[in-house]
Amino acid sequence: MSSITIIYLIILATVFAIGMVRYRRLTIPFRILTFSVLLTLFWQALSIVFAVRYRNNAFTYHFECLTAYIFYTLTYFYLFRSRTIKAGLLATLISVFVLFLINILFIQRPADKQFPTYIYLLTNGLYVIFALLLYKQMLQYPLNLNIVRQSSFWFNTAIIAFSTLMFINLGFLNYYALHNWGKDIIYYFWNGNLYLFNILICVSLLTDNKNNSVQYG
Amino acid sequence: MGNENIRLVVLSAALLFAVVITFVIYFVILYRARQLKNKQEQDEREAVYRQEILKTQVEIQEQTLEHISKEIHDNITQVLSFVKLSLGSISNTLDEDKKAKVKESRELVAQTITDLRDLSKSMSFEHIIQMGLLKTLEKEVERINKSDLVKVSLLTEGQTYSLGEQRELVLFRILQEGINNALKYANAKHFKISLQYQADLFTLTLEDDGSGFSPDLLNNKSGSGLRNMKNRAVLIGGDATIESAPGAGCRINVALNPFKQLYADGVPHPNSLS
Repeated sequence: MSSITIIYLIILATVFAIGMVRYRRLTIPFRILTFSVLLTLFWQALSIVFAVRYRNNAFTYHFECLTAYIFYTLTYFYLFRSRTIKAGLLATLISVFVLFLINILFIQRPADKQFPTYIYLLTNGLYVIFALLLYKQMLQYPLNLNIVRQSSFWFNTAIIAFSTLMFINLGFLNYYALHNWGKDIIYYFWNGNLYLFNILICVSLLTDNKNNSVQYG
Repeated sequence: MGNENIRLVVLSAALLFAVVITFVIYFVILYRARQLKNKQEQDEREAVYRQEILKTQVEIQEQTLEHISKEIHDNITQVLSFVKLSLGSISNTLDEDKKAKVKESRELVAQTITDLRDLSKSMSFEHIIQMGLLKTLEKEVERINKSDLVKVSLLTEGQTYSLGEQRELVLFRILQEGINNALKYANAKHFKISLQYQADLFTLTLEDDGSGFSPDLLNNKSGSGLRNMKNRAVLIGGDATIESAPGAGCRINVALNPFKQLYADGVPHPNSLS
């Protein structure tokens, strides 16, 4: 196990621990987010085990992608005010689940060591849309609180940064598959993106406070 | 893959990252601007709301004072007049010694009737509006000076003009509050009223030589009367400053532009140019 992976696992464990310590002070969406970190930690650990034992951990990425989508969508569900958007979020949950099944069973099968790039592309595209919509909502209903102390800002920034950078990650991955080159760049870039994402999630968990959330409007 | 391709890949990644960072910074700037705008709008709404409340309070107070004024004029003074007449009619049947006492009582009743009528007039907004600010002030000064409680002087500078009924009424109530404070809390011996009529500025200054107070009082619960004076001044588009220190008396200055609109809700002042 490389030091980069160990650092990543430590970051995940730390973020989850911070979420648990502050659990009582967190609002519902950030409680959900805390458990999404735990789940990521679980899938990450499992992927290491499968990589070592079976030389194939593709299925963990399939499921990690799906469960992350469910948790982040639920987080957004509680952050949005508009009922239409909330209904839209639930509709995408069902759609993504159906597409996930089709992809895992027929298109990018884990048994063939296929990485779920299609689902990654789809979910990250949706994340970007959610993030932009939440930014719009934040502008419509600004709080009487400094933006750097707003958990939703940090969470949303984490999502938009991770999702947009994920497209370039996937581009690198595609290039690697075709030319068998750039493995190190992809590895560092991918992990750098994950580090950044989880650090921003950590900030969002540290800034979230039940008392501040009532200031919406 | 050559070095050029690697450079291109790294450059594109860096560019995308820079775009994301720029977007987030732009959002933060936009958000702060929106917060500021929102705060300004909220402050404006609160100011209008406060002014509406104050306006209502002033209206209710004026109605109450008008009611009391009418009661004094139409009821109490009438009864006292009847008492005076009765005393006059019975005095003829009495001996000289008792006659003198009844006469003294009649004079006291007559004085009370006069005082009550004056008080009734100073309470009645109809009367104040009818007489105008300056004449009402002169009458009020005369009335208070008669009481010997405090020596009040009135000074006028410049060519007088009408400030409009509402403004003059509010200014008169500020003055009454000032005199009341000087008598009730400051034990003042002298009270000076100055009116300055300039082309685009009217100033009312009230000064007393009483015990004064700490400026902190303005922020305390007990300073509500003083704050009320400031609020009333704001209501008529003016600005009141209150200066005082323990042992140094008190100076209240109300300045207003005679052509400024009366209320924040857009009701124009009769003298307003717009």
